[in-house]
Amino acid sequence: MGSAPSIRVIDLHKKFAALEVLKGVSFDVQRGTVLSMIGASGSGKSTLLRCINHLETPTSGDVLIEGQSLCYRETPSGRQGLRERRAGRPRSLAEINRIRRDLGMVFQQFNLWPHMTALENVMEAPRHVRGMGRKEALEAGRTALRRVHLLEKADVYPARLSGGQQQRVAIARALAMSPKVMLFDEATSSLDPELTDEVLAVMRDLARDGTTMIVVTHEMAFAREVSDHVMFLHNGLIEEQGTPMQVFDQPGSERLRQFLNKSQRQR
Amino acid sequence: MSESLRESLDLSLFWEYRFILFKGLSMSLGVFACAAALALAGGLVAALMRVSRYRALRWTGTVHVEVSRNSPDYIMVVWVHFVLPLLLGALIGKRLEFNPFVSALIALGFVYSGYFAETFRAGIEAVPRGQIEAGRGLGMSERLIMWRLILPQVVRRMLPESVNQFISLFKATSIVSLIAVPDLMYQVSMVSAQEMRPLPLYTGAAVTYFAVVCGASYLLQRLSGRWRAKVFA
Repeated sequence: MGSAPSIRVIDLHKKFAALEVLKGVSFDVQRGTVLSMIGASGSGKSTLLRCINHLETPTSGDVLIEGQSLCYRETPSGRQGLRERRAGRPRSLAEINRIRRDLGMVFQQFNLWPHMTALENVMEAPRHVRGMGRKEALEAGRTALRRVHLLEKADVYPARLSGGQQQRVAIARALAMSPKVMLFDEATSSLDPELTDEVLAVMRDLARDGTTMIVVTHEMAFAREVSDHVMFLHNGLIEEQGTPMQVFDQPGSERLRQFLNKSQRQR
Repeated sequence: MSESLRESLDLSLFWEYRFILFKGLSMSLGVFACAAALALAGGLVAALMRVSRYRALRWTGTVHVEVSRNSPDYIMVVWVHFVLPLLLGALIGKRLEFNPFVSALIALGFVYSGYFAETFRAGIEAVPRGQIEAGRGLGMSERLIMWRLILPQVVRRMLPESVNQFISLFKATSIVSLIAVPDLMYQVSMVSAQEMRPLPLYTGAAVTYFAVVCGASYLLQRLSGRWRAKVFA
């Protein structure tokens, strides 16, 4: 499995009632690389990210995480094409939960649990999902908090943390599970400008350490700097993709050019 | 002040019978504590049913809440004590009789479980969806999410409102004398039957209820306030 991509998305479709948000998206993310997804709001990038850890159930298509199908049970006869896989039985909730452990998700709204301290937030999943002992989970939690430079806030409740600090705790909470892939859903969009930098700095460190990441972002400068690959989504499809240089410096489509212009003017 | 008013407000008779009345009060508190435990447990179960994924459970929970909340506690106490044993007896083909204390618990526990269920449910639904998704994203099961993430917050959120319900429940225990549970009101009527002077005894009972409710709710509010402040700043 050495060369299998960390994540492979195959012809993903997602419909909300009559509205088709994703209209067939396929791509690979190689291990140790950073993929950024950009696009106007409503282009489907957040939905795509949420389909990858099954917070939204894809209408059709599949997501493979290190070769393992997220949506369908593997049939015993080994490698099969998409058509056969589609015929396979959907996975149970318990199986999906087991696969989710390996995907760290960071949300726009942080979503820390207010009744737990920073450290308790970070320890919760290692302790109760991975089944670590108290000591081991404590160690994992402290290590994760150290990585986001918030060890000194370990015993503070979220209500007493700034937005940037809350988001860093949320990143630590995902890291403590030692995920294979980190997913960032507009992680800085609800932060004041002066607080985004501390979060971006943490994400930059992760990228440098070789963490596999998928980043949905409006921060174009950041996307250009850390990404190995950039995807521009429009109307539920990949309109254009390539290296940051290709996408940002030689945009092929008129839509991408317009989008980049607009986000530049907003700066 | 008229003679009869002065006599009504004179608590010396109440004081004279304080030992037997105190015994009644402890019975009232016992009924309250057991009924509250039952109501909380029943309310939690009903609330979990109402937010369940399965329609049949949701429906059962709703029926429970509607029936229990909409029954007058007075009627419920009588009905549970006199009719329910006959009904159950007919079902299992045996003669049944309930101890009045047990009837009182079942009746009050049932009625108040409906109120608590609604408080629990409001608390469960007030937890932001994002927090639940954060749990799911980390691979937590639905059960783990309920017990580790949602319910601990619900307990903190519902405390102020549940103080009101505990107060109503405690006041509602004053009707269990109806089926001869020897509570405070039962002892009051026993004494007044003997002394033929019910009014000062009722005044005393009113003062007692007031003092207990006021003191307990003040304490509860203070303790819970400090506990909540940490979390909901």
